[in-house]
Amino acid sequence: MRLTIDGRSVEAVPGQTVLDAARAAGIYIPALCYHPKTGKAGRCRACVVEVEGMRGLKESCALEAKDGMVVHTATPKVMETRRLVVDLLLAEGHHNCISCQANSSCELQDMVYHLGVERPSFLIESEPTPLDLSSPGIVREADKCIHCGRCVEACQNGVVNEVLAFAYRGSHAKVVCDDDVPMGESTCVQCGECVQVCPVGALVLKQPRDVRIRPHETTATKVTCPYCGVGCQIDLHTKDNRYVFAMAHEGQWEKQPNKGMLCIKGRFGLDFVDSPDRLRTPLIRRDGELQEATWDEALDLVAERLKATKEQHGADSIGFFTSAKVTNEENYALGRFARAVIGTNNIDHCARL
Amino acid sequence: MAGLAATLGSGAMTNSMEEVLKAKVILVIGSNTTWNHPVFGSLIKQAVKHHGAKLIVCDPRRIDLVKIADVWLQQRNGSDVALLSGLQHIILREGWEAKQYIQERCEGYDEYRQAIEFYTPEKVEELTGVKAADLEAAARLYATSGVAALYYCMGITQHSHGVDNVKACVNLALITGNLGVEGGGVNPLRGQNNVQGACDMGGLPNVFTGYQPVTNAAAVEKFSKYWNAPLSDKVGLTLTQMIPACGEAIRMLYIMGENPMVSDPNLHHVEESLRKLDFLVVQDIFLTETARLADVVLPGVSFAEKLGTISNTERRVQLSNPALTPRGNVRQDYEIIADLATRFGHTFPRTPAGLFQEIRDLTPSYAGITYDRIRDVGIQWPCPTTEHPGTRFLHAGKFARGLALLTPIAYKPPAEEPDGKYDLVLSTGRIYEHFHTGSMTRRSSILDAVVRTGHVEIHPELASKHGISTGDQVAVATRRGRIVTTALVTERVARGSIFVPFHFAEAAANTLTNDALDPVAKIPEFKVCAARLERVSGCGC
Amino acid sequence: MREELSTAIESIAARYPERRSALLPALHLVQQHSGGFVGAEDLAAIAEVIGVPVSEAYGVQTYYTMFQRKKLGKYHLQVDTNIPAMLAGAEAIVNHLERALGITVGETTADGLFTLSTVECLASCGTCPVIQVNDRYYESMTPERTDALLASLRQGVMPDMPVVAHFHSECGVLMARRGMPNATDIDVYVASGGYRAIDRALEMEPAKVVGEVKASNLRGRGGAGFPAGVKWGFLARGTGKPTYLICNADEGEPGTFKDRQIMQFDPHLLIEGMIISGYAVGAALGFIYIRGEFAWIAEILERAIAQARSRGLLGTNIKGTGFDFDIIVHLGAGAYVCGEETALIESLEGKRGNPRLKPPFPAVVGVYGCPTVVNNVETLASVPFIIEHGAGQFMQFGTANNFGPKIFGISGHVKRPGAYEFPLGTPLARLLEAAGGVDGELKAIIVGGLSVPILTAEEAKGLLMDYDSCLKYGTMLGSGGIMVMNETTSIPKVALRAIRFYAHESCGQCTPCRQGSHTVAMLLERIVAGRGSRVDIDRVLQLCAAIKGTTLCPTGDAFAVPIEAMVTKFRAEFEALVD
Repeated sequence: MRLTIDGRSVEAVPGQTVLDAARAAGIYIPALCYHPKTGKAGRCRACVVEVEGMRGLKESCALEAKDGMVVHTATPKVMETRRLVVDLLLAEGHHNCISCQANSSCELQDMVYHLGVERPSFLIESEPTPLDLSSPGIVREADKCIHCGRCVEACQNGVVNEVLAFAYRGSHAKVVCDDDVPMGESTCVQCGECVQVCPVGALVLKQPRDVRIRPHETTATKVTCPYCGVGCQIDLHTKDNRYVFAMAHEGQWEKQPNKGMLCIKGRFGLDFVDSPDRLRTPLIRRDGELQEATWDEALDLVAERLKATKEQHGADSIGFFTSAKVTNEENYALGRFARAVIGTNNIDHCARL
Repeated sequence: MAGLAATLGSGAMTNSMEEVLKAKVILVIGSNTTWNHPVFGSLIKQAVKHHGAKLIVCDPRRIDLVKIADVWLQQRNGSDVALLSGLQHIILREGWEAKQYIQERCEGYDEYRQAIEFYTPEKVEELTGVKAADLEAAARLYATSGVAALYYCMGITQHSHGVDNVKACVNLALITGNLGVEGGGVNPLRGQNNVQGACDMGGLPNVFTGYQPVTNAAAVEKFSKYWNAPLSDKVGLTLTQMIPACGEAIRMLYIMGENPMVSDPNLHHVEESLRKLDFLVVQDIFLTETARLADVVLPGVSFAEKLGTISNTERRVQLSNPALTPRGNVRQDYEIIADLATRFGHTFPRTPAGLFQEIRDLTPSYAGITYDRIRDVGIQWPCPTTEHPGTRFLHAGKFARGLALLTPIAYKPPAEEPDGKYDLVLSTGRIYEHFHTGSMTRRSSILDAVVRTGHVEIHPELASKHGISTGDQVAVATRRGRIVTTALVTERVARGSIFVPFHFAEAAANTLTNDALDPVAKIPEFKVCAARLERVSGCGC
Repeated sequence: MREELSTAIESIAARYPERRSALLPALHLVQQHSGGFVGAEDLAAIAEVIGVPVSEAYGVQTYYTMFQRKKLGKYHLQVDTNIPAMLAGAEAIVNHLERALGITVGETTADGLFTLSTVECLASCGTCPVIQVNDRYYESMTPERTDALLASLRQGVMPDMPVVAHFHSECGVLMARRGMPNATDIDVYVASGGYRAIDRALEMEPAKVVGEVKASNLRGRGGAGFPAGVKWGFLARGTGKPTYLICNADEGEPGTFKDRQIMQFDPHLLIEGMIISGYAVGAALGFIYIRGEFAWIAEILERAIAQARSRGLLGTNIKGTGFDFDIIVHLGAGAYVCGEETALIESLEGKRGNPRLKPPFPAVVGVYGCPTVVNNVETLASVPFIIEHGAGQFMQFGTANNFGPKIFGISGHVKRPGAYEFPLGTPLARLLEAAGGVDGELKAIIVGGLSVPILTAEEAKGLLMDYDSCLKYGTMLGSGGIMVMNETTSIPKVALRAIRFYAHESCGQCTPCRQGSHTVAMLLERIVAGRGSRVDIDRVLQLCAAIKGTTLCPTGDAFAVPIEAMVTKFRAEFEALVD
């Protein structure tokens, strides 16, 4: 089916929202509270559009695209509304892009830039709220919260850890952990899903902050989590060949086994790759001590001992432990080595442990 | 896996994780899912919260899922066969079984039916400690709510009769017609990211890739021809058999990416055994407790530095990409193996893609999977051709084995039960924040900061009897060893039981555990042994 | 938490189709039994019993102003300072209390006896000023009566104090029994012709009942004026889910105190209306969602419901027809927005009273995800007359398209403020005359509750009190809450008080309402304090213009429209404050 958005004929599939259809066609509609994983919310009012034959403004994130629909995304009322939303959000919080970790990966910043807002219309003086640094992996900055509710929805209904909620109301409304305790003292399990969906810098990871690398400076590579068997797809963010932080891979998240979610281990447990304890060179035991050796020395020695043992005691006197933590290719290679090169079926791994 | 393979013909999770959202009732047994498979735990919670699924949790510990469970059956450690059979007894007594399904798709019913007679609710209450009324409620819920999914983990398998436990799970699903249907199944949750793949790839003493038996002449011939080498058709030893054989039948071990010095039962014995070897080679990324005993240590690379496929618990083959370039004088693990093979005159592919091509050539269930197809989203085997979309759930219409086997199972108590001397039941397992032997998680600054040391979970009643509070140092002793660790007083653990996570080498739970093995799967009984709490001098308790 | 309380919560939870609905009742209950507040431990216990996360329970507790987290004084004195009260001299009562108690608003006396608070409209607009002490209303207060009240409270006695209330029923439909002794008793109700319509209704097919209501052109009396019969017709059919009927008794719109007249003085009229309506729409369960401050009126309703149940008028197989219907009275807890039907539904489900995104509308996805119809008290109370006497009789009242009787609440500067039942279309002048005439010279008037545009005395000339005439005159009939302002009234102060109300009540969900109301309030504060400028006045107008039509629910318009009207129509007064 097709609809017309700002005079352009746009393709849409049944069930798709006007917002999705517009974005797929490269038409920018800001949406601060909508996120594919948390769904429509109707809170931010940034994504409103006008539709011919419909009264008033419509939330494009909640409006199902219909064949023949004629949508306008930049009418004076729509632009006035977006400007209002930006003005009010800027008045409400303390947004300082200069030092914000989310700089260049902030949806509010994008919206402000798109609207060409140079300075906010209202400046309301208010005391800054202290940062919540109590949790091991996450920083909360209430002053940057735009009340989009993504984190609350994700925590309550996505990962179902049920820690974050909105409390109070009106301009006093805020996101709290449990009954308004610091995150580090709450029942939060540090899955980081709230950070994953936060459109601004209100919820950020500590890891990049600690090394002063903002997310947009990093390169993301899709990897499979090295921990349990769920096989979560992770974007490993690196810079200068160092690990910086991890986010759930969101490409085609609905088809991924982890649906764009992670746990504490996948989110925060990967910096071991840069551990100073990593082995850097082969070691050979000499005089009872493990000492550095060259690859040829080490491999020659192993080969020689394999041959000798096989000769002396037979192939079945040699055992191989392969691993549930290496790839299929490597498991296959060791299996082939044990069976075809050494000639034994003495190969196993820790599936039972 | 042995239990699944024997009864259904395939040793893998029958259904996909996301299908839990389609289940009407979910039975979780022996899996602390929200800790050990947290993301799948979230899916279970979604199923209950948003899709109205009923949840039955069977666990001796008050795990987090108990909070949202419709029924919690707190069976005694090691009494799972009785519990699962008790459910079946009630289902059959009430006539809730799927009669046509049993008739058309199963065999062995008569013998099985006879064996189930033994498990009356009264008998089961005596064996498991679960009230007959709760058992009745769970049976009704499981059998009459619609499609039912069963998930289990090491709480089922790590027993001296783990295979029986699995077969009891299968029996339950079979008689209610829950195998081969979307949203149902018997689903073992794999504890490590590539356990499934390691098994698929023939990292087992009895099978080549794709579970082709080494005892099958045709398979031996096929692999022999492809690899251009003579092959043994004798089933090899399992890990848990090789360790005690060290210094005798086993003279040399080559260990890649494993740390039996923390992960295996009865650790004093493990160290003793490994020291008896003529030669020990360890290929790893850290100087693990095991690597410290090696004669040669070969430095491989971490997951973040390698390309290759990994098969998750739901048989999904996913491509993992290198995010970092290896640093130092290290080599890719497949290169190390290839380099060794060269020294024997064998030529191994030196790229993951080359190796994967060989896997596809030799493994029908992987034949249709290519790197290109799984660049974005993985594919679930079996996937026989490049046009095949992969398989979300197994056994639709027909079991891999043909007819599924209903197995009569006799109840066996755990190998070691509490007595006057060792009055408590000890079980071991993982906690949310750490993983396996801790070699990765304990080197992660945040995880290490969150949980720095090990502990023992003690029920408040037991704690007050011993005058123990959270934070006190206590000793846990069994017939095999003794560790000193920190007390955590919590109602999570049952009265008369204690729980010790095994990630912490300095107070290694596996110093305590029993190396009694399941006779078929050779899995050690980590989930139950007899233990006692002891004073630590100077602690004042 | 004490064993009995958790047992009590269990039994409350069992009454509802979904147990989470018991959250607000549980908070009320525990608060009542735990010294007027629910602390962290109790909250966690409630969350556990009901099965909600602590975080959500806390979110709910802090959403509603009636729930306290900390211990207050033994007597919580809550003075309504909203506009009708302000016009009646509430400020003097607050000042008097501050002096008498030696504390300021928000504080508790050292002896722990009194906590003084100011609160939003208590729906006592005709009997202001009003002080709510714990859950009891003290109306028609003067400084002298306030002293007497304090003296009695110091003796530990909640005194009985007479109320001076004016009323008149021209139509004899909705306020027919007003003034009748024991009118809340079922025997009096029956003796005066009550529960007759129900017999007629049960003889008819449900569709015929709907048809009759449609034919009567009864328009919703909550404020929007949407035809009730048409609304019933929108209900989703054949969903396999139950249908629910909800009576909206949240009466929170400042200036409105009409529903109270029915519930407090003639509860069986509402119950009969609900039984018939429930029969018509195919509901087996109805809820009366009543504002928390009306807990004492809820008790009147509960007693009446128990009586009706004992006569077989509620329960299963009513009058042997096989029709089952029952009513649960559900207390709100201090949230204006819960008067909006989807917010009300959320609140009834035990959640924060956040309005839902529409569509879907409640007729399709309402409470517990089921088809639901929400009608105002006055709307439902009109149904028995329509069924008993026929649509034609009903249409004898009023003017074309604006049929039926209506209760008008008249407050502010009139000599006899009170509740007056007149046909729709009655001239405003006639109503003011019934209320004893304007006290002083009419300056301005708000005729439909606070959310409608204010009219100058000049603009109000010739206005008929019905939906269409009000529209023609640039305002709305709304709830029919008429607030009269004489020449002594400062419109900037009224505007400031109005916006403070909306800023206090905004649910905080959507940006323009949450931060828009807050920003307008800060600008008006500056203006009224004499610290503002003409630019601030323009900013207020710009903001109001921009906010209109942009919010998730009607609350944005509810303040943008009247504030804009006040500033535009009385701009000179605002400018005088800043120049």
